[in-house]
Amino acid sequence: MNRALRRISIASLVMFAVLLLNVNYLQAFQADSLTSKPSNVRAFEQQFQQQRGQIVAADGTVLAKSVATKNVIYKFQRQYPHGPEYAPVTGYDSIFGASGLELTEDKLLSGNDPRLLVRNFVNMITGKKPQGAQVVTTIDPRAQTAAYKNLLATGLSGGVVALDPKTGAILALASAPSFNPNNYATFSGTKLNKIDTAYRQSPAQPLLNRAINETYPPGSTFKVVTSSTLFSSGKYTPDTVVPAPTVLQLPDSTATLINFDGEACGTGSVPIIYAFTVSCNTVFGGLGMKIGGPALHDQATKFGMNDPNLTIPLPVSESNMPLLTNDPPHVAQSAIGQFDDTVTPLQEAMFSATIANGGTLMKPYLVQKVEAQDLSSVEAATQQSLSQPVSGAVAGEVKRMMLSVVQSPSGTAHAATASLQNSGIEVGAKTGTAQNGINNTGLDDAVFTCFAQSGNQQIAVGVVVKGGGQGADAAAPIAVAVIKAYLGQQ
Amino acid sequence: MSAGAGIASQGGGVAFAPMLRKRRGTELAMLAFAVLITFFAYANVGFGVNGKLPSGAFGYGLAFAGLLVAAHLTVRRFAPWGDPLMLPLAAILNGLGLVMIHRLQLASQAGLMPGNTLAASATTTQLLWTGLGIVGFIVVLVAVREIRVLQRYTYTLGIAGLIMLAIPALLPSSLSAINGAKVWIIVGGFSIQPGEFAKLALAIFFAGYLVVKRDVLALAGRRVLGIDLPRARDLGPVLVAWAASLMILIFESDIGTSAMFFGLFIAMIYIATQRTSWLLIGVALFVVGVLVTAALFTHVGARFEIWRHTFTAANINCNPATQTNCAPSYQLAQGVYGMGSGGVVGRGWGQGQPYLTPLAQSDFIVSSFGEELGLTGLMAILLIYGLIVQRGLRAALTVRDPFSKLLAGGLSFVLGLQVFVIVGGVTRLIPLTGITTPFLSQGGSSLVASWLLIGILMRISDSARRPPPQPIQEEGMTQVVRVT
Repeated sequence: MNRALRRISIASLVMFAVLLLNVNYLQAFQADSLTSKPSNVRAFEQQFQQQRGQIVAADGTVLAKSVATKNVIYKFQRQYPHGPEYAPVTGYDSIFGASGLELTEDKLLSGNDPRLLVRNFVNMITGKKPQGAQVVTTIDPRAQTAAYKNLLATGLSGGVVALDPKTGAILALASAPSFNPNNYATFSGTKLNKIDTAYRQSPAQPLLNRAINETYPPGSTFKVVTSSTLFSSGKYTPDTVVPAPTVLQLPDSTATLINFDGEACGTGSVPIIYAFTVSCNTVFGGLGMKIGGPALHDQATKFGMNDPNLTIPLPVSESNMPLLTNDPPHVAQSAIGQFDDTVTPLQEAMFSATIANGGTLMKPYLVQKVEAQDLSSVEAATQQSLSQPVSGAVAGEVKRMMLSVVQSPSGTAHAATASLQNSGIEVGAKTGTAQNGINNTGLDDAVFTCFAQSGNQQIAVGVVVKGGGQGADAAAPIAVAVIKAYLGQQ
Repeated sequence: MSAGAGIASQGGGVAFAPMLRKRRGTELAMLAFAVLITFFAYANVGFGVNGKLPSGAFGYGLAFAGLLVAAHLTVRRFAPWGDPLMLPLAAILNGLGLVMIHRLQLASQAGLMPGNTLAASATTTQLLWTGLGIVGFIVVLVAVREIRVLQRYTYTLGIAGLIMLAIPALLPSSLSAINGAKVWIIVGGFSIQPGEFAKLALAIFFAGYLVVKRDVLALAGRRVLGIDLPRARDLGPVLVAWAASLMILIFESDIGTSAMFFGLFIAMIYIATQRTSWLLIGVALFVVGVLVTAALFTHVGARFEIWRHTFTAANINCNPATQTNCAPSYQLAQGVYGMGSGGVVGRGWGQGQPYLTPLAQSDFIVSSFGEELGLTGLMAILLIYGLIVQRGLRAALTVRDPFSKLLAGGLSFVLGLQVFVIVGGVTRLIPLTGITTPFLSQGGSSLVASWLLIGILMRISDSARRPPPQPIQEEGMTQVVRVT
């Protein structure tokens, strides 16, 4: 009987071998594809079984946290203590989806990132509850609150971004009108659908992050780019005297370019710094045509425009300056930030940040570091330069002109920044009043870009207020408030 | 089952007994290890679920350890030559099963399980059944000093086995059906699964019957196309076993049990006769039987549909009470998802979501282990089963008495087959059929029957490993020759 018994043994061995192979296939090779099956609710329910990591500001202010509930399946509920103010930063996390940092940092917040694998395994062995990592942002709550409150006070829509020019850290990222992410922290699918639909269908578009995902015509703030192009060519300095007609006749067309309200620009022949300070369109339109479309396009691209792939890590919409060849009338318009030029408020801040940082553009970033449950660092931001749009010398020349916009009594931002004068804060700015709509029938957008320095601390701010009129009127006070809040002079 | 066809048949004759040691100390050390692992797993569940050491950890731990010490002392006294691995292997499986049931009971109390099927007393009840099982193990060793005693009851046990199998089919559903499987006897609040005990009774019957008939079955017959066909009248018992297993299939909706019984019979007839023709006839009969019943009876056909199209939305959302054109695969899909979510290292005790799978504590307890202990833990569990089967077959190979040989071979194989059917079922290797997972599943009958099975194997291994009486040297030329 032993021969048969041996064969039975081998048959048993084969049965166990097949079982072992099959569980290996299932658990080692198929695990991922099983997780992504639509009817698999495990991963989905699991995210509410363990505590999601917090999102905090640079000083530790909690922007998003998970608190325990009595529900057995949804053990933790997301809370956003400051609601709409930080919504452009945090986004929302719901049972159907997420946005903002909640989306881009989801794997770290939920604890599923491969970098947390070893820590999670140790926690599993020691029986500790798994917990997501904490995301520490670069946001400065003083700057953020000043930006959001003052933007909201205009009653208009728009966005504000503040950067640290030296590092690229984003200090403020505000958008109005905003939404309340707490409304998404519900476990009721019907309730969630209702809220989401209401937000999506609202004409105010509260879900739109205007700071980085809406573009506006830059208007005269684009003269920073045009000046940079001129000075980089080596043929111009701020003191170069150039023709300044009241009306600029555009070639090959009946169109003309005029200054704001059709005013004259000085004596008809002025230094560039004067044209910049009082913002003469005819001067920069004419110089733009001379330096040419490709040079302007090239310079704008170095400033970060025409880049659809920038992430901070939130995806940033592309700021646009079209490449124009052999089209002088449009080049003239483009050189003063009209025609098809569009920028995000972030791009506005990047203009000034580059000038303040001696010509080097640092890559903007929103996440300073990510810390595991035990406070060990999982990820830390590395400061990297995005490009070198202008040389240090050219940056100095543009900076001198931007300071003049604030300091010169005739400067367009002089009155709006009066409260900062003699405060020890050095401010340079450029205002913009962008025409809008078909045949410019829409309300003008107020655009403002500036940098400020006090001691070692620097800040660059970009503001766009839709329909805010002149840049100095609606946008500049917001920037001033942010500067004061951040540089500590209130 | 012709996997071993190429294996040479040398060594089929005389079995030499090497210098064996009793190794009872090894058994005790490994038992301590099994208790320790169980205890740590239990503590881990407490930390994983509630963040603290569960109350009663020491009480339960001591009770479990006490029972195993009693079993060990019995082995020392009544089966000193028994296999030292058998008891620790069974103990660790039983211990892990207890911990998993405790873990699921906590989830059920928290309101996480569908239908909250586990009572607050589930762990205690299972521990009581463990006690009863180990007492059964002890009784087998104490009462059955020589396994051949059982041979006297061949036909008694055969009839008892058939009756036990048939009772649930004959009883009304209210007294025999739980979750659609009509394999129970329910009296008051108390339910037993007679099939689990029938398995043992019938294995003894087959062994007794085949020992007597094996020569006839092996030798008579004609050779057709290179296969030795048995005589038509000798086919009788095979056909009876086949019919009985088909009856189980049809009236008790239970392919698993049916496959197990038929597999047991075919394996034992093959061991007894060493004739491949019996294997071929048996497998052919079973395949034909299953295909025909699958075509005729929808509940059998549905098993195949669930297996083939587990993840289609129609089947996952199927409600068999109101829909007829789908097969309810929700449970199987959930079990497989759980194993996927466990991955290689598992989610950890108390930290997965095994409670999402209906019957995670019985039919799908293997999925629960796969989820919380991962591929690593599940492979360890499968290897433990494999080792028990291997030790049983080893005893069958070494033991001299043909009845013991047949019984040990049959029981070991059927244990392996049972694991294959249920684990293969929940891992989608074969169509799923709800049978218990030996030692792990919640439920007393299976646990007690498994301990009885281990008791019988211990008894057989004791006689297999016991050194033969020393030949008396003075008799000069005379030698003691042992023939198997």
